[in-house]
Amino acid sequence: MANAERVRVRGLSIFRPIIWGNSATLLTREEREKVPAEHTHKWTVAVRSATSAPGSDIVGGADDLSHFLKRVSFKLHETYPNPMRNIDKPPFEVSETGWGEFEVHIKLFFVPESGEKAITIYHHLKLHPWSLSGEPDSVPPLEVAQKAGPIHSWQYDEVVFNDPYQNFLTILTNNPPTPLPHAKTNGRTVPFHHANPTSLEASKGGVPEFTVLMEKDEAERLEKGKKAIIAEQEKTRAMLIAREKELERLQKMLNG
Amino acid sequence: MASAADVRSILSLPAVSSSAAGPSQPKKQAASSTRKPEGISRELYSLIGPSAPTIAAQLAKPRLKQKPNFGGGGKVKWEWRSFKNAARSDSLELGHWVKATDSPNTDYKFAKYNVQPTTYEWSQDEYSRYLEDSQWTKEETEYFFKLAHNYDLRWYIIHDRYEYPNGPKRELEDLKDRYYSVCRKLVRNRTWAGDEASKGQLMNSFQYDKEKETLRRKYVSSLANRTPEQIQEEEALYIEIKRLEQNERQFKRDRENLLRTIAGIDSGLPDVVEDDATLIIADPKKKKLKGIDIDIPQTPVLTAPVMKRPPTLNKNAVYDATHCIIRNDPPPTTPATKVAHTPAYLRSFKIPYPKAATAAKVNALLTEVGVSNSRLVMPTVTNCQLLESVIDAATNLVELKKVLDKVNLDIEILKNRLDLREDGGDGASVGDAMDIEDRGETAEPEGENERSQSVMSARSTRSRKHTRRSMSISSVDTTAATSTRPGTKRQKRM
Repeated sequence: MANAERVRVRGLSIFRPIIWGNSATLLTREEREKVPAEHTHKWTVAVRSATSAPGSDIVGGADDLSHFLKRVSFKLHETYPNPMRNIDKPPFEVSETGWGEFEVHIKLFFVPESGEKAITIYHHLKLHPWSLSGEPDSVPPLEVAQKAGPIHSWQYDEVVFNDPYQNFLTILTNNPPTPLPHAKTNGRTVPFHHANPTSLEASKGGVPEFTVLMEKDEAERLEKGKKAIIAEQEKTRAMLIAREKELERLQKMLNG
Repeated sequence: MASAADVRSILSLPAVSSSAAGPSQPKKQAASSTRKPEGISRELYSLIGPSAPTIAAQLAKPRLKQKPNFGGGGKVKWEWRSFKNAARSDSLELGHWVKATDSPNTDYKFAKYNVQPTTYEWSQDEYSRYLEDSQWTKEETEYFFKLAHNYDLRWYIIHDRYEYPNGPKRELEDLKDRYYSVCRKLVRNRTWAGDEASKGQLMNSFQYDKEKETLRRKYVSSLANRTPEQIQEEEALYIEIKRLEQNERQFKRDRENLLRTIAGIDSGLPDVVEDDATLIIADPKKKKLKGIDIDIPQTPVLTAPVMKRPPTLNKNAVYDATHCIIRNDPPPTTPATKVAHTPAYLRSFKIPYPKAATAAKVNALLTEVGVSNSRLVMPTVTNCQLLESVIDAATNLVELKKVLDKVNLDIEILKNRLDLREDGGDGASVGDAMDIEDRGETAEPEGENERSQSVMSARSTRSRKHTRRSMSISSVDTTAATSTRPGTKRQKRM
């Protein structure tokens, strides 16, 4: 019945947690011989599900996203041959070698049953180790870079579908996402993010993994900030009320 | 007839020697001297003899319940001590009786009962924004709130003492209504530190419906003021109603029985409609009977949906969580208009961001508190909402500071004018006031001052330098301003 496909389920929005970003490592001596001379790193940029598969050495990717992602296209820097890389089947990722960081334009195409337009994400390809004070142009020397190990730059996100079509909703509910782990799995690190500078130490070395802990941690930080602001507000308000009284008093003195 | 002497001989009492005694005394003496058998009957004593074991005597004594020993058996010493009440603001010392054994340093044990309701104060800005009312002027509202605070929100006293010159007559419900509506508006519009649930509870405590309350109090007072005749009349009516009800039930039963015998079981005649009054007054037993009568044909239909609903709701919550489904109530105008479809999006694109006007200051505030202003590590629904509330709070704070600054400025200007008047026209200080205004604008932070509080204090220390004359008058600026003396204002960090 054609109608069932085109009926939207109102009042409902369904989302799927994904991660997008890249991992990068330095090329070893042998590998460097096979690639153009100036390339120093090999990197993989990808769009995967947020939960990491147990025992894998990549970030995320426990679930197959092809039930709602038809194609993911990665537009690389024009110095690459064929910069427009279209990936039509999982895993939705591109691996290459290179020497510089640039912006990758990632476009997510959804399956036709969803009736949704494509979404573009801009991801800054990260090759060099993270630093807090942000000196963007300094490239650390080789030894420092080698010590740091693989570099990861991933962003957790949620693709939200509002009022989906009935059959798309069924497709989605037939493929529920693996929930994020609640606690840190052994051997995995915390992904670094600029919004949480304190995670720099925790993110060094190892394969990062997204957990519910990170979400809770952020919620706590937000709450703390809010409380601090409200405390300040109360103080300011009390001062304001006192000042207004003072103002009134002065005005009376002036007029009386 | 037994004479005294005979009695004496019967009881083998010694001859009385005292002359002043009447007949009662010798008898008494006699009674006490031979009352050796204590607790056992005299016959038994005369059988057993004087060497009766005390156990027997004690056992025979009726063992009544012992009275509890109040007052320490008369051995407690009381002394008069003076004490201070921690709940008093003056240091009045009164005296009271205290057991001598009590430690002399314990606090007055009734001090902790001095609880006071939370006072609500508002700034002028808040008043003009939220609290305007056509029937209440600002001054009257302020007078009322001061009174309410003085009298601990005891409404009867407040209402009695309420005397606003040239004000309209205020009933108790008017006062309560104004108070609760002001509190509600303040709580609703100020940012709330706790979670939504506690805010909801506080809001509920401030619910006040004036119409209902007036009606209710009228009913209660009329109920209490019924004359005896009215009460009797009501009772009589009540009895009559019950009798009528009973008749009706009887009638229904008979009719049903008749119909059943004539037309077979479940002939299904529609029930007699009974009005609400009878339903309300019916006592439980009759209610159950009536319930069965009416509900029998409908039971299988009714219970099924009722029972099904709770389990499916629970299932839905878990189901929603596993599939990452969020349900919003569809807007009530959905069916007619074609709702434009919001396209799919990534939640990181919809992270709330402060509005343009105050954006810079709000962002500075956020970084101070350690919250990122544009990016979230995990942009989930809850975190996005949290960030939004943080941004709201920050925006409010920035606005509050703006108003505070304005008020401070006004104060300075007024002080200058007062000086002017006192000193008899000195143009220089007016010029200083203008100076302050200009300098005030440029001293707005670009985010490089250490603490946003120092912004305000920076300006006031500056202004203090120029209007030294006003220092004698100023009784303000004693707290924050004095700590951050000049030298910290314009230093760049890092």
